[in-house]
Amino acid sequence: MNGTQWAFLGVYFLLALIFPALPIVIAHFLGPRRPNPIKDDVYECGLKTYGSPWVPIKVQYYLFALVFLIFDVELVFLYPWAVAYDMLPMFAVFEGILFILMLGAALVYAWKREALDWYEPTMPEFRS
Amino acid sequence: MSGILEFVTHPLNAVTFFPLVGVVAILLLAREKETLIRWVALGTSLITFVISLGVLGLFNPQDPGLQLVYDRPWFTVAGWTIRYVMGVDGLSILLLLLTTLLTPIAILSTWTAIQERVKEFMIFFLLLEIGMVGVFLALDLFLFYIFWEFTLVPMYFLIGMWGGPRRMYAAIKFFLYTMAGSILMLLAIVWLGLHYGTFSVPDILAQGPVMGPVQYWLFLAFAAAFAIKVPMWPLHSWLPDAHVEAPTAGSVILAGVLLKMGTYGFLRFNMSLFPDAAKYYAPWVALLAVIGIVYGAIVSFPQRDVKKLVAYSSVSHLGFVMLGLFAFTPQGIEGAILQMINHGISTGALFLIVGMIYERRHTRDLDAFGGLWKVMPVYAVLSLITALSSMGLPGLNGFVGEFNILLGALGSRVLGSYWFAGFAALGVILAAVYMLTMYQKVFLGPLDKEENKCLQDLNWREVVTLLPLIVLMFWIGLYPKPFFALMHPAVEHLLQAVLK
Amino acid sequence: MTVPVTWQDVAALLPEFFLVVWASALLLLDVFWIREKRTTAWLSALGFVVALVLAVGQMGRAPLLAFRGMVIADAFSVFLVALFALSGLVGILLAQDYLARNGIERGEFYVLLMFSVVGMMLMARVADLVMIFLALELFSLPLYVMTGFARPRADSEEAALKYFLLGAFASGFMAFGIALVYGATSTTSLPHMVDVIQAGEADLALLTAGAALVLTGLGFKIATVPFHMWTPDVYHGAPSPVSGFMAATAKMAGFAALLRLFVLVFPVVADLTPVLWALAALSMVLGNVAAIAQRNIKRLLAYSSIAHAGYMLSAAVAFADPHLGPQAVAAILFYLVAYVLATFGAWGVVILLERRIGQEGLLLEDYAGLSRQYPGLAAAMAVFMLSFIGVPPTLGFFGKFYLFRVVLDAGFVGLALIGVLTSLVSAYYYLRVVMLMYMKPGEPIVRREPRVQATVLAAAALTLFLGLTAASSLYAWATEAILRFG
Repeated sequence: MNGTQWAFLGVYFLLALIFPALPIVIAHFLGPRRPNPIKDDVYECGLKTYGSPWVPIKVQYYLFALVFLIFDVELVFLYPWAVAYDMLPMFAVFEGILFILMLGAALVYAWKREALDWYEPTMPEFRS
Repeated sequence: MSGILEFVTHPLNAVTFFPLVGVVAILLLAREKETLIRWVALGTSLITFVISLGVLGLFNPQDPGLQLVYDRPWFTVAGWTIRYVMGVDGLSILLLLLTTLLTPIAILSTWTAIQERVKEFMIFFLLLEIGMVGVFLALDLFLFYIFWEFTLVPMYFLIGMWGGPRRMYAAIKFFLYTMAGSILMLLAIVWLGLHYGTFSVPDILAQGPVMGPVQYWLFLAFAAAFAIKVPMWPLHSWLPDAHVEAPTAGSVILAGVLLKMGTYGFLRFNMSLFPDAAKYYAPWVALLAVIGIVYGAIVSFPQRDVKKLVAYSSVSHLGFVMLGLFAFTPQGIEGAILQMINHGISTGALFLIVGMIYERRHTRDLDAFGGLWKVMPVYAVLSLITALSSMGLPGLNGFVGEFNILLGALGSRVLGSYWFAGFAALGVILAAVYMLTMYQKVFLGPLDKEENKCLQDLNWREVVTLLPLIVLMFWIGLYPKPFFALMHPAVEHLLQAVLK
Repeated sequence: MTVPVTWQDVAALLPEFFLVVWASALLLLDVFWIREKRTTAWLSALGFVVALVLAVGQMGRAPLLAFRGMVIADAFSVFLVALFALSGLVGILLAQDYLARNGIERGEFYVLLMFSVVGMMLMARVADLVMIFLALELFSLPLYVMTGFARPRADSEEAALKYFLLGAFASGFMAFGIALVYGATSTTSLPHMVDVIQAGEADLALLTAGAALVLTGLGFKIATVPFHMWTPDVYHGAPSPVSGFMAATAKMAGFAALLRLFVLVFPVVADLTPVLWALAALSMVLGNVAAIAQRNIKRLLAYSSIAHAGYMLSAAVAFADPHLGPQAVAAILFYLVAYVLATFGAWGVVILLERRIGQEGLLLEDYAGLSRQYPGLAAAMAVFMLSFIGVPPTLGFFGKFYLFRVVLDAGFVGLALIGVLTSLVSAYYYLRVVMLMYMKPGEPIVRREPRVQATVLAAAALTLFLGLTAASSLYAWATEAILRFG
């Protein structure tokens, strides 16, 4: 990169900063401000939160989400493989099978570790 | 297999590594068999001494060069062949004998003094002997450094495990001080290896010294290691602590041999590897040496702890050695080498003597004694001889060494001034003052302390411990010729190379 | 389709393939059939033995680029792969009893350890920028989990979270650096990159920036100052076997990639030499000085590991010198062996003395009097400490000797001076451990766990005797482990 190009990068960087900053600044000066309690609320519409928002959420949701996420992403990798299936050499087919087998192993593991079972809480449920 | 046989049958390897046999034997013994362990250690060190006498028998005093050289490639690292070079010449033969003699004596002195963990004590002691002998015989810088640094470990344990109340402080101070100097030397050694492509001292000498200002830096790096070990003023402050806290045998070896490793290092490496720098710095070294002589003597005087007194007197005596070495005259250097031996004998004996009374009274405070002459006549006589030898009375060994050193310093062209010898002579007088004061306080005067009245005189073991040293004091004092004959050709050879 | 992938490619990665299959199978076996967790431990140890044999079998082969230039099996990688397999084995030996006695033994631990080792092996094999990132993540993610394995102990979880967050942050730097390097050379393949750089077609400014960011990412993994903040907390909070395993192997893996990148690909960015110089000097100084103040042995070892990263990095400063590069690699590999041996040994002793997980038996004072009741163990620990200081005749001395040789040869006298002076500082705190064991009375309580004890004693024996007997062959081996691309 020569000097001009560096300069170009600098200008680009500057523009990138100014562009999002400008509307905010303009809005600050031009926008009318007439605050009232409803406007200052967390949401301008909908219901007010009731009780403390620090409610313990069942940890199994996270576990489910994680397992789902993993398999979801891994399946994306299989898509190009499936599309190009009839052009692949034998080795790639084998590789794909291997990949599916590993996913399967992971699924079996998760299943056996009871990550896929839904448990009813033993604690009394939180009542608001 | 034949390679191993060839290795161990070489006399220099045998004398260096024979203590390892004792170490292995002691390791296999149960720790409760303390007497047996003591005998094994003593026997091992005595056999080592006999082997070193054999080395003396094979040694040709007329030959100025290195003898009994054992030179094999050890291993190769990225273009460097590190050699295993051992050899002996007139500069080191006496120190070798001193080491192998003092070790059994020191072990004998621990017979009743060391009651705790005898097994470990003897193992560390024999390991220490391997390191010390190796330092005096190794002629490859890499090998030398391994032995040099290795001596730190057993000595650290000896001070730290069997020492006095402040032993841990003294042990770590000893280790850190000495290491501080030697790591600078390590860098200098690596530099030399990069420059010459070898660590073997004979090969390096054959290629000639490094030219230019680098030589002066290298000299200083080596000098840092050795000056701390000697110890030269103002780097001496570890010594009183180490001496006071170390067990008797440790002090004997520390004063007798370990300090000599420093002066020997100057003699063997600094003078021949960096001759220009050595001559350039000689007056400065001599100045520090003279300061050490006077300072050590003055500080000795008011000490109440006998061990501390002897420790500071070592600073003074080693100052003489340094002055003799850097006079660059035959008398000076020969006197210095002899003075190294003398100091080993006299100060070693002094520490033994202190240890004997400490074992009886568990104090070393000068004021706790007085009039011991009456209850311990044998002890008093032997102590008198030792004290006189240490202060340099004519007819005993100390005189021969110091006299030669003073003569050498007077006639030195490198130093170029009489003042060094003049001030050093002051040290001789001061030595008489503090030694005789100490003797008077302990042995003369009224026997007025109740605890001292029933003290036992020396037993046969203690007399045997001291006797070889007393004999040597008279021998060197009255007939030093054979000792000079051993070193003379080598010293001439060295001076020729350095002064040319 | 360019080059077809064949069985030859699989052969190039045989130890890794074997370990992945073995670990996956073990994962299922563990949940379905294995009752005793100890069986899982033994089976995974067996897996490492086989991997070690496979790695040794790869020795002496010609360098081979595999999987379309993604990985390479050269002497350097084979050396490290063998070392990683051995480390994995040691890791299991150290961990099994500890996990069992603290009630946190789960089969997944061993499987995670195996996956982590595979990632480290791949770090040694990388021939493509993308591969570096994948390998880095593969070895880091299991380590995050293993760090938190003492759940629900708060300090273990805290350590895991801290390690994970900072690790993810470092990965970000790494990814950005890789992107910049790609931008500068328009290739991710390292062999191509060498060609592009030699042809003068690379954008040097961009490449330097990229290399600096990659260095940041790797510097985090090898724990150099100033990317070291996590180290004491993580080593302290993690279960001790995990800390020991991490201290030894994660550093090796980081250096594997660092050496390959800097010695082989980036010599052209000699502008970074002062940066490496500063990192090495800071690590040596800060690591050693901070270690003095530690009273907890785990934190002490953590700071000491930072300092040792600095020593190794000081030889890597010579990376830009085409003549010294290979020597720096050999010296660092040699030092790594010395460091890994002493590290595993020292952590083994920590494990034996740790009474309750993360609580008792971890202070330096708990080592008082060890030499009286357990002379062998104390002697072994003393050997490790002396090796860390670099006292002859231990292996650590030879390691430092070769390192300083490279540093001096490259003309960095100042750095060598910092190195030796900080060694002196380090002697102070290492000797304090020795002092407590040998010179203070005390009643230490030590576990009788034969596997850990055997590991400790073996490491001590190797540290003590390898230097005198086999330093040359080890070094020759390390010298032959030169990095190459075809």
